[in-house]
Amino acid sequence: MIAGLLLGHGAVCLALALAGRRLGRRSLLIAAAPPAAATIWGVSRLGVDEPAQAHLVWAEGLDLAMTFRVDDFVEIMTLIVSGIGVAVFVYAYGYFTDDDGSVGRFAATLLAFSTAMLGLVWSDSVWSLFVFWEMTSVTSFLLVGHKNTDPGALVAARRALMVTGGGGLALLAGLLLVSHAADATLLSEIGPTEGASATVGAVLVMLAAATKSAQVPFHAWLPGAMVAPTPVSAYLHSATMVKAGVVLVAVLGPVLGALDAWKTLGLAFGIVSIVWGAVGALRQRDAKLILAWGTVSQLGLLITLFCVGTPKATLAAVTLLVSHALFKGALFLIVGEVDVRAGTRDIDQLGGLARSMPGACAAALLAGLSMAGVPPLLGFVAKETAIEATLALAGIELWLVGAGVIGGSVLTVAYTVRLLAGMFGSGPATPLRPHRSGLAAPSRVLALAGVAGYFALGPLEELIGPAAERLAADSVGHLHQWPGLTLGFWVSVAVLTLGAAGGMAAGRRLPSVPKGHAARLTDAVIDFTLVSGRELCARLQHGSLPVYLVTMATTVALAAVPFAVHLASDSDSFDHLIWWHSPLQAVVALAAVAASLGLAAVGTRLGAGLALGATGLSLAALFVIHGAADLALTQLLVEAAIVVGFVLAFGHLSRRFPQVGLRWRAVRMAVAGLGGAAVVAGLVAASHEPVAEPPLDEMATQAAEQGGGNNVVNVILTDIRALDTLGEVFVLAVVALGVLALARASRHGGSVHEADEVGEVGEVGETAGTGEAARGVAVARAAGAGDGSR
Amino acid sequence: MSSALLLVVGGLTAVGLYFLTGRSLSRVVLGYSLLGHAAVVALVVAGGSAGEAPIVGQAEPQDMSNPLPQALTLTAIVISFGLTLFLLALAKRQRVLSGDDLVEDDLEDRRIADPDAPPAPDDAGGADHAESEHPADAAAAGAVASGTEGT
Repeated sequence: MIAGLLLGHGAVCLALALAGRRLGRRSLLIAAAPPAAATIWGVSRLGVDEPAQAHLVWAEGLDLAMTFRVDDFVEIMTLIVSGIGVAVFVYAYGYFTDDDGSVGRFAATLLAFSTAMLGLVWSDSVWSLFVFWEMTSVTSFLLVGHKNTDPGALVAARRALMVTGGGGLALLAGLLLVSHAADATLLSEIGPTEGASATVGAVLVMLAAATKSAQVPFHAWLPGAMVAPTPVSAYLHSATMVKAGVVLVAVLGPVLGALDAWKTLGLAFGIVSIVWGAVGALRQRDAKLILAWGTVSQLGLLITLFCVGTPKATLAAVTLLVSHALFKGALFLIVGEVDVRAGTRDIDQLGGLARSMPGACAAALLAGLSMAGVPPLLGFVAKETAIEATLALAGIELWLVGAGVIGGSVLTVAYTVRLLAGMFGSGPATPLRPHRSGLAAPSRVLALAGVAGYFALGPLEELIGPAAERLAADSVGHLHQWPGLTLGFWVSVAVLTLGAAGGMAAGRRLPSVPKGHAARLTDAVIDFTLVSGRELCARLQHGSLPVYLVTMATTVALAAVPFAVHLASDSDSFDHLIWWHSPLQAVVALAAVAASLGLAAVGTRLGAGLALGATGLSLAALFVIHGAADLALTQLLVEAAIVVGFVLAFGHLSRRFPQVGLRWRAVRMAVAGLGGAAVVAGLVAASHEPVAEPPLDEMATQAAEQGGGNNVVNVILTDIRALDTLGEVFVLAVVALGVLALARASRHGGSVHEADEVGEVGEVGETAGTGEAARGVAVARAAGAGDGSR
Repeated sequence: MSSALLLVVGGLTAVGLYFLTGRSLSRVVLGYSLLGHAAVVALVVAGGSAGEAPIVGQAEPQDMSNPLPQALTLTAIVISFGLTLFLLALAKRQRVLSGDDLVEDDLEDRRIADPDAPPAPDDAGGADHAESEHPADAAAAGAVASGTEGT
């Protein structure tokens, strides 16, 4: 069922991408169908204890599989992702007009995000988690940059992609480390881990979560992403995608929570974000930006509560997860509705909408008061539980978390009051455009769900309780509609009073909107990355072939360092070496090396050709001494052909090789020496422990009896490697054709040259070319024949 | 394992690499050929110690050299021979087109660093061989390209 739902999402997405242009606005309603199906599936699973699982094997035997698992906690995320998804698609139907040609593309991309998000929350395998995580980053980039003619949108989209995509890389590294330390790749199987690699992994995972959930100092992309169409802001940037980081922290909390680094880093991100996000929200005038900064603050609260990790805090976090999706989704949708109808989102210019948009005003009040934590709304239950959980802490944790949670709550009340008063309070009534169908209903449903959640707390707790217990691995207690006159309640009262007073006092007129230092800093980091990337590329890809080769040779030579270390660490590692098999071998070997060194010393091309021949001949002699007659014969033939070819091709060009700078020559010599030493080290290390003696008897007997030949090497070539030998003959035929074509081409190539040299060079080229071509074929044939005759 | 043969492998590899990193295409071909030789000897060295030719009737099996690496090495010799010939033909083609056998810098690669630089001119004259990292090398190459080309 899980795989079917994901595939269904994907199929509809593909169909919309193809047919979206013709369907126009209707494509949004079609796109609502797959999330609706997922919601129905989720609801039908309510009360089922057994987690739903799916296991799609990718590569048999390699442990590569897409593994999905829907347990109690994931169930809640499924309902949030799909349920809010349906609401947002319906809302988008009203938000967009048919004149907008890009609606089809929008619907397909938004559905693609929905698919990725479902895959993300359903993933049990850390690999599929990572893949879907990155998919949400990419689709978010496309959606933020939806208005692709607006440069501001493009900058914001780039910022969102770089921050969340960079976090994705940290996530991959972190998951690798954590899954290695825990020796499991399924989230459901990873147990509590400790140790250095687990700690580094935990820090990386926490960084990834902080980028995705827009925690300070990675938060700048989230307010920037508000240039996206409002359905995107409501869906991705408040209800679902930004929760991915929170989900990660929640799911890995039981595993990594014991690590100090995880908890400290998470609490630091969370507490700073609660306060700074709320302060940011207080300083904005754009209603959407107020909500975005508020989201940073709320996400910080969620991460803080999950990192605190006590059962009560976990219960509060899960409750807040649900209520936040409801009230923030509703508020975004209402702000978008106001934007569409009033033409502005600036709370300085808006006013008096309570009379002209009563429905929106009522829904905004319900959602906003839920955000502020006022009874009888679900937000009150969440905040009350959070405060109780905080007050139950002790020591320094009580003070820090308490300051964050309670201070953040006061600020939250303040910016909520300011937002609601700004939009719907007194003031000259803003003129409105006509109502559009589909725009109103989703936000009303979400806002009312917050009320329903409060009054139907019992049934809701059956959903939230097991989820929190699954995360906390402990009994979490109960949610209360009315806590009684406890300390927590009085704190709540104080928070509400202070916050409301603060919000009223702040009013609309606050000092100028903040300049967005964080955004500029983020952009500067991104620019720096791009510029230094280009510079690095220019340095590495400089266009000089010799320098490339030197770089590669050095790298490859350094790969032999482990061999050298191995040799140096073992006292008997050179015991298997002998000086020579026979004195003659030593003499010929010296001759071969001397010939090759002579090759380097010879200044003329003709001499070089001859020295190459001498090297080859020495090798042939070495093969004879080694008892490899066939090799010697082949080497002789080949060497003769190469020397002839070399002299033909270059002998008449110019006598001397060009001289090059001394310093560069020294570098080349050093690298060459290093390369030679590396190969020798590798060989010595590799032959240190031979696996087995060669089965000489067996090979000789089999060659004579089964192969019907006395030369064992020939039997291997023609019997065992017959196809390889045939392929070799083909290679030579192709080479002969290539050589022929290149040599022939020289006839027409002269025109590129300087005018006065054309005749001369052309003529030489022609005669030499024809001769060489004929020779090339003859040589190839000779080699082929030699091959056959062996 | 014979140290003499190891010396051959190391020596040929070193000289081969030295040539391969040069600017003269004919020497690059030489270097390639030497590297091929080194690989062949390395295979033989890895195959075991010397012995009689592995021909039934002429030697006792236990005295033979290991025939299996020899059969593999034959292929290596022939293929590297084919490639060397092809490289020779390519180097010659380069000489016909540009008048010398020097490896030129890829000017399109240079434009990655500086997109505003002019595209590669059709005439690959001496000055274009210049290579900023190694002025001495480049100057020498340029002098050769303009001075000693032609026969």
